[in-house]
Amino acid sequence: MSSLDQVFSALADPSRRHLLGYLADHGTATATELTGELPMTRQAVSKHLVTLSDAGLVSSERAGRETRYRLTETGEEWDERLDALRRHLERDG
Amino acid sequence: MIRKEIVLPAGRDEVWSALTDPRRLKDWFANDVELDLRPGGEASFRWDNGESRHATVIEVEEGERLVFEWEGEGDVEFTLADDAGGTRLTVVETSPAWTSALDLQASALAYA
Repeated sequence: MSSLDQVFSALADPSRRHLLGYLADHGTATATELTGELPMTRQAVSKHLVTLSDAGLVSSERAGRETRYRLTETGEEWDERLDALRRHLERDG
Repeated sequence: MIRKEIVLPAGRDEVWSALTDPRRLKDWFANDVELDLRPGGEASFRWDNGESRHATVIEVEEGERLVFEWEGEGDVEFTLADDAGGTRLTVVETSPAWTSALDLQASALAYA
């Protein structure tokens, strides 16, 4: 499957859109928090999170013993470029 | 759509020059830069790792706005504004490959 197919397929499911909506509102959440919020088993939540991660829509990071999920931030390339621009201006100025 | 904002410790003229002077672009953006700064003008950027990208200048409003289009890969729009800390630079990049997916994600969120 192409990455775009994966994105569309991930978004086709209402439960997964619900998870994305929750993450958009709350910033980050653990699978346990998401299970408490939505009428799904933890197992179903975990499975959906894998699908969303594979599509690149959600990323995760470990914080101590838990894994927190968030909507994937894009544009890291620009963060680096703009940092380089700031350093350039500081050197020059 | 990618949107980034940064406040740079320099005046608008200075930031504009860093964005548009090929000699200065070589210091922060790419290793080799050619830029014909006028609407329809061509730009090419080359990096030491062998990567290269071409673009066409779309809009030039000196000190305020610069828009260029990556070859077949979407637009990049720079907007400059005065800020207490210097200059606020906003970059918006739209890429055809991602536009539909991210727009769809946005609508999905709106109707979730």
